[in-house]
Amino acid sequence: MQPGPSAFKRLKRQLLANPLDGLITVVVLALLGWATISTLHWLVFGADWRVVSQNLPLYAFGSYPADQRWRPFLWIALLITLTLLTLLGPSRGWIRKALPLVWIAMVPCGVVLLAGGFGLLPIPSHAWGGLTLTLLLTACSGVLALPLGILLALGRQTSLAIIQRSCAVYIDVMRAVPLIAVLFFGQLLIPLFLPMHLELNRVLRAVLAFALFLAAYIAEDVRGGLQAIPRTQREAAAVLGLSPQQTLWLVVLPQAMRTALPALTNQAVGLLQNTSLMAILGLVELLGISLSLLANPDFIGRYLEVYIWLAGVYWLVCTAMALLARHLEHQLSPQTSAN
Amino acid sequence: MMPAIKAAGLVKSFGHGQRALDDVSLHVYSGEVLVVMGPSGSGKSTLIRTFNGLESIDEGHLEVLGIPLDADHDERQIRRVRRRVGMVFQQFNLFPHLSILDNITLAPIRVQRRPRKEAENRAIELLTQMGIAEQASKYPAQLSGGQQQRVAITRALALNPEVMLFDEPTSALDPERVKEVLDAMRSLAKDGMTMVVVTHEMGFAREVADRVLFMDEGRVVEVSQPDQLDKSKRWQRMASWGGQH
Repeated sequence: MQPGPSAFKRLKRQLLANPLDGLITVVVLALLGWATISTLHWLVFGADWRVVSQNLPLYAFGSYPADQRWRPFLWIALLITLTLLTLLGPSRGWIRKALPLVWIAMVPCGVVLLAGGFGLLPIPSHAWGGLTLTLLLTACSGVLALPLGILLALGRQTSLAIIQRSCAVYIDVMRAVPLIAVLFFGQLLIPLFLPMHLELNRVLRAVLAFALFLAAYIAEDVRGGLQAIPRTQREAAAVLGLSPQQTLWLVVLPQAMRTALPALTNQAVGLLQNTSLMAILGLVELLGISLSLLANPDFIGRYLEVYIWLAGVYWLVCTAMALLARHLEHQLSPQTSAN
Repeated sequence: MMPAIKAAGLVKSFGHGQRALDDVSLHVYSGEVLVVMGPSGSGKSTLIRTFNGLESIDEGHLEVLGIPLDADHDERQIRRVRRRVGMVFQQFNLFPHLSILDNITLAPIRVQRRPRKEAENRAIELLTQMGIAEQASKYPAQLSGGQQQRVAITRALALNPEVMLFDEPTSALDPERVKEVLDAMRSLAKDGMTMVVVTHEMGFAREVADRVLFMDEGRVVEVSQPDQLDKSKRWQRMASWGGQH
């Protein structure tokens, strides 16, 4: 079979079968061409990219003190290195074995690098911003929400009626409330409930609100995974003498998490994008810093440039997350990949 | 001979009134191979599942390896029994997320607290006896049904059980895979293992069983020695159905 001519013939048959089809094809092609050319023309000649190019450090680090910017820079550089290492690095050996631990360590590492302490100059959280803050919000909320969600899912399955009911009520309530309301609650109401001397900073409050909200959704994803495991798996573990806890940890949860992984990836990507809601509540994360740049008289009216740039950055980060998740799925199902 | 399992007057009902077990009494002696046969729904699976506490009885007296499993038994007694009684299921029930070797060593390491190296050596030894040592690093989904069932037998044997329970071990297999599993069970019987086998395999019953027990509607309706089987009406009826139903 010769692909060249046959593909051309197929195209011709599908697109130019009769005069009307031909006309439609020509019109659509013309429209597409015109749109592409004018978009490209605008991107190259019409747009004024100074709003992006002059402010790259702001997009990346927000108003973090200039002499300390190496700290968020180091964290992001580590994240990028780790991503590349995970996706392209060796497929076995000690590096591969250490990767999960290193990934988890990135969360406290990021907090310490940004906040200071351990010999680093303390930087208050209101100076954190830009992509760094977006990533930190996502990472911390995700890491908190996952165990919480698993606990909720397990709680919903226990035979203890009171635990089961309260988990179910919590999940239902959280899923019935819009995220923005939970975030408002976190920013405005939590401080009222806490004693005066215990003051949580805004970032921590946001992380708590995100985690509490997301945990309800994660719980439902994990429950789906738990329900997909046949009863016979528990029986097989039981007749081997495994205790209920061992059965849960060694047999049930590993399989449930693997089943739930695609849904959990969805939640992670959604979480990253939802952190932009914090711009409304006064955190200068990626969207927040862009909004304040647009308020600068020098860059007034440069909405299109800024939002296209933002779309590009979010797309890049989300794609990296999706690739990492796919990689993880692949790692966790060796029996299909090895076949 | 010592009875490994003593059952007297076992009764078990499932919600809807009908009795899955109706006054079942039997002994299984140490070193004996007891084959349990009967039509679907006759209670033979329920019976074998009471022997390691997967089902609890409502009435009667049940003792496995000297440990009572009566209606009022607690979780501790069940776990003591399970540590000494192995079970093989119709659907293999291997853990799909673990390699063959990990499937087998999971319980020895986690339940019996044996060192990993020792458990793995023992697992390889057993797999070699089963003729599937080269599959050790694969995953269950990569094996044929017959191989998976032999792994399941190995997994149970790795705990050095005193009694082995088989719940229709060949019913989910392709016909050409049945023999390899039956061969493994045969050599186990030859080594003197106490076995209770629920099966429809008539050849295995005739050749390996010390006694064949027929159940119907929750009752034990006949107990035969293998050499008397040809005189049994039930046996003849099963033979006329080709041994399957």
